[in-house]
Amino acid sequence: MPSPAPSDSADEAAGGLLERGSQLSALNDQLAAVIGDGRGRVVFVAGEAGVGKTVLVRRFSRVHRDAVDFLSGACDALFTPRPLGPFHDMAASIGAGFEELIDSGVKPYRIASTLLDRLADRGVTVLIVEDAHWADEATLDVLLLLVRRIEAVPTLMVVTYRDDGLDRAHPLRVLLGGLSSAGSASRIRLPALSATAVARLAKPHGVDPLDLYEKTGGNPFFVTEVLAASDNRIPDTVRDAVLARAAHLSINARTVLEAASVLQPQAELRLLETLAPQTTDHLDECLASGMLRATPGATAFRHELARLAIEESLAPNARRSLHVAALAALSSPPSGAPDVARLAHHAEAAHDADAVLHHAPAAAASAAAAGAHREAAAQYERALRFAGDAGAATRGGLRDRHSYECYVTGHFDAAIESARSALDCHRESNDARSEGNTLSTLSRLLRYVGRPAEAAQAGRAAVTVLEGLDEPGHELAMAYCHLSYLFMSIEDLDGTLAWASKATALAKSLGDLEAEIYAEINIRSLEYLAGNADSVPRLERCLRRAADAGLDEYVGRAYVTLVFWAPRSKAHDAAGRYMEDGLQYCAEHGLDIWRSYLMVSRARSHLDHGHWDQAVESASMIIQDPCTSPVTRVIALAVIGLVRARRGDPECWPPLDEAWRLAEPTGELQRIELVALARAEAAWLEGNPRLVASATEAALALAEQRRAPWIAAGLATWRWRAGLDERFPRDAPPPFAAQVAGDWERAAELWQRLGCPYEAALSLADADDEGALRHALVDLQRLGARPAAGLVARNLRGRGARSFPRGPRPSTLRHAAGLTNREREVLARIAEGLQDREIAELLFVSQRTVGHHVSAILRKLGVSSRKQAAREAARAGLIGEGPASVGERRPS
Amino acid sequence: MYPSGVYGSMSWPNPLQVRVVQKEVHMARYMVERNFPDGLAIPITDEGAATCLEVVDRNAEVGVTWIHSYVSEDGKNTFCVYDGPDPESIRRAAERSQLPVENITRVRVLDPYFYK
Repeated sequence: MPSPAPSDSADEAAGGLLERGSQLSALNDQLAAVIGDGRGRVVFVAGEAGVGKTVLVRRFSRVHRDAVDFLSGACDALFTPRPLGPFHDMAASIGAGFEELIDSGVKPYRIASTLLDRLADRGVTVLIVEDAHWADEATLDVLLLLVRRIEAVPTLMVVTYRDDGLDRAHPLRVLLGGLSSAGSASRIRLPALSATAVARLAKPHGVDPLDLYEKTGGNPFFVTEVLAASDNRIPDTVRDAVLARAAHLSINARTVLEAASVLQPQAELRLLETLAPQTTDHLDECLASGMLRATPGATAFRHELARLAIEESLAPNARRSLHVAALAALSSPPSGAPDVARLAHHAEAAHDADAVLHHAPAAAASAAAAGAHREAAAQYERALRFAGDAGAATRGGLRDRHSYECYVTGHFDAAIESARSALDCHRESNDARSEGNTLSTLSRLLRYVGRPAEAAQAGRAAVTVLEGLDEPGHELAMAYCHLSYLFMSIEDLDGTLAWASKATALAKSLGDLEAEIYAEINIRSLEYLAGNADSVPRLERCLRRAADAGLDEYVGRAYVTLVFWAPRSKAHDAAGRYMEDGLQYCAEHGLDIWRSYLMVSRARSHLDHGHWDQAVESASMIIQDPCTSPVTRVIALAVIGLVRARRGDPECWPPLDEAWRLAEPTGELQRIELVALARAEAAWLEGNPRLVASATEAALALAEQRRAPWIAAGLATWRWRAGLDERFPRDAPPPFAAQVAGDWERAAELWQRLGCPYEAALSLADADDEGALRHALVDLQRLGARPAAGLVARNLRGRGARSFPRGPRPSTLRHAAGLTNREREVLARIAEGLQDREIAELLFVSQRTVGHHVSAILRKLGVSSRKQAAREAARAGLIGEGPASVGERRPS
Repeated sequence: MYPSGVYGSMSWPNPLQVRVVQKEVHMARYMVERNFPDGLAIPITDEGAATCLEVVDRNAEVGVTWIHSYVSEDGKNTFCVYDGPDPESIRRAAERSQLPVENITRVRVLDPYFYK
């Protein structure tokens, strides 16, 4: 559908670019804002291939080049792009050892923090990263870190990407998804040209404007190619348009063009000369025709679409010869080390197996070192495609490394398949050490995806094989640790201790700190779960030892242990101390899997505190990440399903069913607990006792067997509420015990102290007392818990209660935490440190009234003390402004 | 040669062959009930039109499309038809435009004349 044609003056402002006036001025506005307050911003420029993203950015740079600094880089369209390509591009302009830093293979966070330091020292800078849809994983990591902290530096980041065909699991979507809440980020979408604009372009060429518009869909690249070919015929595809344009070149110039088409990301003149005879004579013709453009020391296609069309048009043999020549020329660069990613690319296109087996693993290793694991996996796959004639030891090694890269990128099935193939190779070459090692890895992978029996089998087999070695070493100690972890995951104390003590003994004799710490963390985890108070200082000690030894992975593990189990017993306050530090540590050290464990614990803490929006936001980020752990994925699905159920929103069952399907076969309470509780609650809210029964039976038995009183009592409560049975665990924690004893007021108070307003309201909802029920109703309405509020309202009506609140008005709902104006006034005084008596005097009310207000504030904020309330108020910005005004009503 | 990637998640349509690319995002239709105790009035003026378009723009940022609404005679209740990926997006869109949400129901069209 054509968009409304903008005025001519907008096009004038865009310097003759048609219909790009508003986008250009949006960029100008953002730059002006950065210059104005010195705070960085990010603009994402999206659009389909050929819509003119690069043209827009170039025009923008031309306008401002004299006033501000520009840094720019592009991601390349190689099958496996160079890691950190765009940052290599801009390294020379950044100077002072930046290039060396990238080459040294440091982690993305180091690159991001160095770049931010440099940006902070410069004046206002525009940092352009083009074609982010092709970005390698390391580049995406750097981008994410830059975007998160961009406000601290006077920089306008402009990131362009193709949004056609960017499917849901594309890593860039995860990046974009994570930015929805960032105030410093904005997006510009470039639409295709309107029919009017196409007509204006067509007019001088005498081409039928309507036909042109319909065939090209207004795609500017397509339109330009058609008009440049100028033979009054409109081809059906972009490819035909490009080829028609190339057909106007002389035969020699076409030879140059074809040679350039196999060289990515650009055709260095040195290379071009070896690939095409008499390049220099005919290159000018290509440049003059506009198909190629000049870059320093090289030439490149004006657009990737054109390069692709030309390369695809080459005859297979001609194409292969060009790649053979490129491979030879690139193997011996005039200076510096050869670019292994490019070599691997040409080696494959040249069908040169030896060269692929030489270059692809090297490219994989360098990609993995830079944190570009997706690219590393692809390079190992490339090598494996050519490894048919290689020895078993070579294939086994490639399979092992491929398996690892697949695991890191969340492709668990591929990882398992590769580990199994590696196993065959190691057996073929009688390499028991590698066989045992791979078995141990396989065991971990199988547990991860929820196949516990096979995991235990592989873990034991690993130990058997490794114990048979003449000199058992690190591999065996780690295999013991993995087995111990396997038992820890199912909360089996005996199994965990048995294997951990074997690991510890061997690790100490070997002086192997990694295995020693790993084994200790497994033991401490179960101590923590058993409520042993000493476990926390012991875990802190593990954390410090791991940090001192540079064992990042185990620092992450220790943080996770201190945080991940806390939601089970609602110990959110105690765990909160480690949450932010842990998240920061894991982000900076690229420990994405541990980071997602912390994130999902945060989602559960938000859920319990009644902050459902934030809970859903954290959970969605976990689910959108294609590399997410199966453990955290299940929990995140349960959070989303439960919030939907509590709000009475549609579609609560699909995520709950999926989570149950994934969790149930694992036998791990850590994966099962929340989804079982959530399904029971959703079934109860729907008034379906039979579903409550089936949702709780297996999980309740498991929780009792694992001695998890909070979970057992939680599940038993749903059965009790659904009228199923009166059986209740004897060791039920205090709030449940009070509830079952009929002391709903005490139960509500205990829940309140734990910071769980929804649970507190439900405790009151069980009361046999109209006052308490009214209280519950108001609290549930304020939380947005429509179905539960409905149940309470029905109960009240059944008791003959007449008038009761129909729910807060939108103005109070909209209010953070739903405080009334009076409550906000009291909260402000609390934050100033005043006592009830002083507040009472100040507000001309009784001290008792102030007391009521304070209780209401604590309840609504989901906190247990006045000090916490003050902190929460400052955090959420609830104080420091006048009484809330009701915003202007808008239509829906 | 086109970077099609090794995994399904990385597959790219070749733009030389594919002109029109279908978005893969799953969209559902929702009926959103809202209550306006003080009544709702959108004047049929430039200002009213601008207000509506603002809402449309903000919705687009979270991937939600407002199709149209039915408004009760007294202006106190609206029934708004939306397309969106999930209920959370509908709530996010409401939050951005400071609109109340009473109830969200997933719906589909039933056309009585379809049954001949």
